[in-house]
Amino acid sequence: MFAFSTPSRPLGARPPLPEQLKERAKPVFSASSRTIDVDPALQTLLPRGAFQRGTTTVLIGPEGSGATSLGISLMAHASSIGHWCGVVGAQDPGVAAMKELGLDVRRVIFVPHPRAGWADAAAELLDGVDVLLLCPPRNVPFGAARRLMARAKERRSVLLVRTTTPTQWPIVPEVTMSLTTSSWQGVGHGDGYLTARRVLVTVHGRRDASQPTERWLWLPSRHGAASMAE
Amino acid sequence: MERLVALWCPGLSEEGPRGEEVRAFDRLLALVRERCPFVEPIRRGVAVFPARAPSRFFGGEEAVVAMVREDLASLCQAQGTALHVGIADGLFAALCAAKADVIVPTGTTQAFLRDLPITSLRRSELAVLCQRLGLYRLGQFADLPHDRVLERFGTDGAHCHRVARGEEGDLVGIRDPSIHQRLANLYEAPPASVQPTFFGGTSANDERALRAALRVQRRLGASYVQVAREAFGHDPNERAVLVPLGSHAIEQATARRTAPWPGRLPSPSPTLVVETPPPAQLLDDDGNVVRVNVRGLLSRSPTRYVVDGSPHEHRVVAWAGPWPVATRWWEARRFRARLQVVNDASEGLLFGFEHGQWWLLGVYD
Repeated sequence: MFAFSTPSRPLGARPPLPEQLKERAKPVFSASSRTIDVDPALQTLLPRGAFQRGTTTVLIGPEGSGATSLGISLMAHASSIGHWCGVVGAQDPGVAAMKELGLDVRRVIFVPHPRAGWADAAAELLDGVDVLLLCPPRNVPFGAARRLMARAKERRSVLLVRTTTPTQWPIVPEVTMSLTTSSWQGVGHGDGYLTARRVLVTVHGRRDASQPTERWLWLPSRHGAASMAE
Repeated sequence: MERLVALWCPGLSEEGPRGEEVRAFDRLLALVRERCPFVEPIRRGVAVFPARAPSRFFGGEEAVVAMVREDLASLCQAQGTALHVGIADGLFAALCAAKADVIVPTGTTQAFLRDLPITSLRRSELAVLCQRLGLYRLGQFADLPHDRVLERFGTDGAHCHRVARGEEGDLVGIRDPSIHQRLANLYEAPPASVQPTFFGGTSANDERALRAALRVQRRLGASYVQVAREAFGHDPNERAVLVPLGSHAIEQATARRTAPWPGRLPSPSPTLVVETPPPAQLLDDDGNVVRVNVRGLLSRSPTRYVVDGSPHEHRVVAWAGPWPVATRWWEARRFRARLQVVNDASEGLLFGFEHGQWWLLGVYD
């Protein structure tokens, strides 16, 4: 069943849920917590093992490098425990692929082709969702970037930005992940099929004085979702 | 089919040296929008808007036409263009009605279409062929049995046949494909109240998300904001499509398919699915074109590819396939197949082979 689906009977004809089920069906996160969790398999990617609410994470990689898959994977666990998510500017999103990566599409709002309105759409959705994946179409003006980061901080949502070059987002975010080196498994010269991809992700944290960390990731793994590849 | 009012200003259809026509057309749209907010430009000089609400509000379709003529009289006179207005069911019929300056009553669309010349379909090859067979009117074309048309003219001709019979609303391949989705959305206003979720009630989070989504819709347009909806297909890759938020039934909204390939292609699926696949060429080292032959094999091993619209040539490092797709027996070029390719930057791409050539279908981003 998907969100906003038309009820098959008139409203009010739906039988009430038993009380115990209603309790269990509520979202299982606390709105007052400071963090938003990611899948346990990906926790070592993030400084402190989870997203800090109000922060911005930039995912850098050329098209085809897996950056969109990474963004979706980082959002997947949150969507499955009840957080609303948004995806802005991912032209022609492959919804089937996103489901395979573990995204619960019942609570995702898509704006695939915002055209000139991408920044406005992102700002509005940051009000309503807890995690937003933004794929800006070109270099982001300084003012727009600052406004979006401030909005995320104010609304305590998590902003993920998928860029193709390091300079596309003009302000240093709290976390940067760069995807370099990837290798697909399963294809040969006519035989096999794409099964899994191994990707090297370099993570910088703005606050940390320490060196950037490198992690090998399966994106996707043979089982569909992303996981660490150490 | 939706009942539409169509406007056509032949004088604004061609762009003159000073670009005046574009500005004039914008002003025309603004004037019409003052009466009805849901005007959709089709191409330069042509616009449509739904007929139902304005005709109820202004007291009938003749009244709407008279009002539009009056509103636009001075602009058209200043531009030196005629104004043609028509009303009919379906986009194709409405545009033909505008050309003829008629209001086609509901239920008489088929009779109206019958008398139109075969050239109205804007298919020169099909028109020439029909004329050689002595078929000069849409009605004569419509009278042909459908399976013969399918056989002789292919799927495109079959679609034109259905349009000529009044069974389909519009031709394909001529207009911007998103126009149909936008038109479909004109009839679905965003929900005034919050719709319940699966558990029979809304939580504060649901309402907050929905309100934000509605704000984006109001700002950008109804079709811009989409949610996943279960699709009905025995195909695992087609189980989710994106539909505009607020569309009440998947049958009514023109849902955008997010997986153009059949379930025979195993997971993972590409995260980016190209809506309008660009043509591409796959080549071997000697520059020969790689094709899929009727036995389902590649004619040569691909070593590089080029996608239309990009100047770069990429090397193919690995590839898998081709996987044949269920073929349609009446198609002239019968074979369809899918191929996965990994390039020298380790990017995964999905190509499709159809109509004798390759198209880029998706990227595994």
